[in-house]
Amino acid sequence: MNERRPIGLTKGPSETPHEFTLVSPDLGQVLKVGEFVTYPAYVDGQERMILASVTHRRPLRLYPDDFLRDPTVSPDDVAALLGYDQKACDLFEVTANVIGYYDEDMGDFANPRLPPRTGLPIHLATDEMLAGVLTKKRLGEVGSAHIGSLLLRERDRVPIVLNLQAITSTHLAIIANTGAGKSYLAAVLLEEMMKPYNRAAVLVVDPHGEYDTLVEMVEHESFATSDYRPEVRIFRPGEVKIRASALTPDDLCYLLPELSERMEYLLRRAYRDVRQQGWDERGNAERWTRADLQSHLQRLGKGSKEEREEGGRYASTADALLWRLRSVLERSVIFDDAKHLDLDELFRPGRCSVLQLNDVDEREQQVMVATLLRRLLHARTLTVKERVKKGNELYLPYPVFVLIEEAHRFAPAAGQAVSTGVLKQVQAEGRKFGVVTGLVSQRPGKLDPDVLSQCGTQFILRIVNPTDQDRVAESVETVGRELLKELPALTKGQVIVAGEAVNTPVLCRVRTRHTRHGAETRDAPAEWMQYFSPPER
Amino acid sequence: MVIGKIVKSNSHTDYVCQVYGPGEVGQPPAREDYAFGTFVRVPLNKGYWLVGIVYDTQLVNPDFGRLGPRLSPQSELAVFSPDYLNEKATLVGIAAVGTTGGSGQSQGVPALASSADTLVERMTEEQVRSFHEGSPAPRVAYAPLLLAQGSPLALYLLRRVVERLLALFPSYASMLSVLQDNLVWQSQIAPIGDTR
Repeated sequence: MNERRPIGLTKGPSETPHEFTLVSPDLGQVLKVGEFVTYPAYVDGQERMILASVTHRRPLRLYPDDFLRDPTVSPDDVAALLGYDQKACDLFEVTANVIGYYDEDMGDFANPRLPPRTGLPIHLATDEMLAGVLTKKRLGEVGSAHIGSLLLRERDRVPIVLNLQAITSTHLAIIANTGAGKSYLAAVLLEEMMKPYNRAAVLVVDPHGEYDTLVEMVEHESFATSDYRPEVRIFRPGEVKIRASALTPDDLCYLLPELSERMEYLLRRAYRDVRQQGWDERGNAERWTRADLQSHLQRLGKGSKEEREEGGRYASTADALLWRLRSVLERSVIFDDAKHLDLDELFRPGRCSVLQLNDVDEREQQVMVATLLRRLLHARTLTVKERVKKGNELYLPYPVFVLIEEAHRFAPAAGQAVSTGVLKQVQAEGRKFGVVTGLVSQRPGKLDPDVLSQCGTQFILRIVNPTDQDRVAESVETVGRELLKELPALTKGQVIVAGEAVNTPVLCRVRTRHTRHGAETRDAPAEWMQYFSPPER
Repeated sequence: MVIGKIVKSNSHTDYVCQVYGPGEVGQPPAREDYAFGTFVRVPLNKGYWLVGIVYDTQLVNPDFGRLGPRLSPQSELAVFSPDYLNEKATLVGIAAVGTTGGSGQSQGVPALASSADTLVERMTEEQVRSFHEGSPAPRVAYAPLLLAQGSPLALYLLRRVVERLLALFPSYASMLSVLQDNLVWQSQIAPIGDTR
């Protein structure tokens, strides 16, 4: 792989100024799409090794179709019959995209803006060179995240070590088909964040309850040092409450099904009144209970004396609204009159909190995430601006990372989810205040395009659906079109990483998790068979 | 079996052979000896031969187009105009496709050229087989050379060659059939119209 013989010769510039073509027999079959090649060039009087990535490969010699007529006869034999007895006839025209030379001072690639001249020998980039330039971080450094190795090289020869500082300042997205390994990759990232050299404050929004195996990090030797051992807290459905008074009128309208305009008017009026009452009686507009809201609604339903004589102007509306309120707020396991998201409990450096939301209604999940993000951003804003002090429930003196599984539920492209706006706000303002989101989705086509495009680092695994592919191509500008063509061909555990965390888009093979994977697919046929097997004694 | 002698050439690989007629040799060649697709050889240096294939036949007849009466009747021509009888001839075109002799054979454009009046002899089955033997399979490396000459009969000539090789190398029938099928398609179907 690393022999220093040239792999081909440049043919000339391609269609765009930063592309060139080379011709190679490629006897070792190594010039695959995504592979890296180099050539020397003088830039400002100094010899630099220019890195380029292969984007296209076209065979220059193909046997005539007629040679392929008989499946039992090799076209090589037919060619030999006609006197062509060369050992290898293959010749390829390979298009490469100039990435540039690595500028140590800038810590990034600089483009020479000049394609190589015709006939220049092109070499395969060495493992050592790639390990030094593809990413900014090295293994084990503070702020590094070792997620795997370069796909086109031998396993672990070129480690892909992401820049966690870049990820935690620009948000990330993990998108893939079901079964392509997105939860696995997300868990690898979480493991890296919880390593002794990162010790992050992390929350996982887990609608399927598949991240509970992360607790194994606590006892795993890879995470422990003399002064550190990660904490993992699993919050089962109902263990984390939202105080009903923290809900906005929009949240309430969203939670209650099929509200008429009249009902919505009445609800907003009651909400306003109950806040006013909280302020008047307790000095805090957010100090009211579900019972307060209901009694206000009842009062509004009865109306004034004149209205009562007319049978109550809002009587039927208030009754319908009360029925809806009770059926949603009283029955739900996530709303409470007193308990509220304890940020200090959820977020702490070196702690990974997993908020399991299975068994929770989808709209309630959205309200939960919206409320959480709203409160989180508020707390961090106040803390950074030094408007709250230690001891205040909104004092949160460290950046936090929130990984949201099934992100398309919380920011759908179609329809209005109450969490979409908050998520957009967090993405726009969160980086200033250290609130970073990681979105995981299997349907990028159903994910709000603005939300997806705000993610500065992208992890794209196998995607087959054309709509999803188009959405990725629209929203992810850093990955070239040619590399995106690889999406349907990726297999499990293979990922394209692009954006701020790497110096150039790379194809990566995800490393093995330290903890067990919790999202295993059920073996239904085996379970059916078990039904008929004799019971154990 | 000697079939005639080289009388001219049109190029380095295109020779014209005048076939021996009655009275020129003791046993003149039969039509089968210089048929279309027949392999012939022409001596070069000692032990080396130019190998060619009969690809064309032309009949030369000075009497053709002579509309006036002749003083001598046909039966007396041998007495009064013996030269005239010899002016009628059969010419065959020979495409040089390689050399044989010495340590082996070579297919393709031969380095050496033949010369006028050199005798042309029909090759035996064994000689044809030997010329086409390769390692491990038979070879027809001169096929592109024949096609490049641009003759309208080139495809048919190659078909004859491959048919011959199918008989000589039955164990390589599947490989040769691929080539034969291509030639049949190109000669029989492709000329009719766009086949793609």
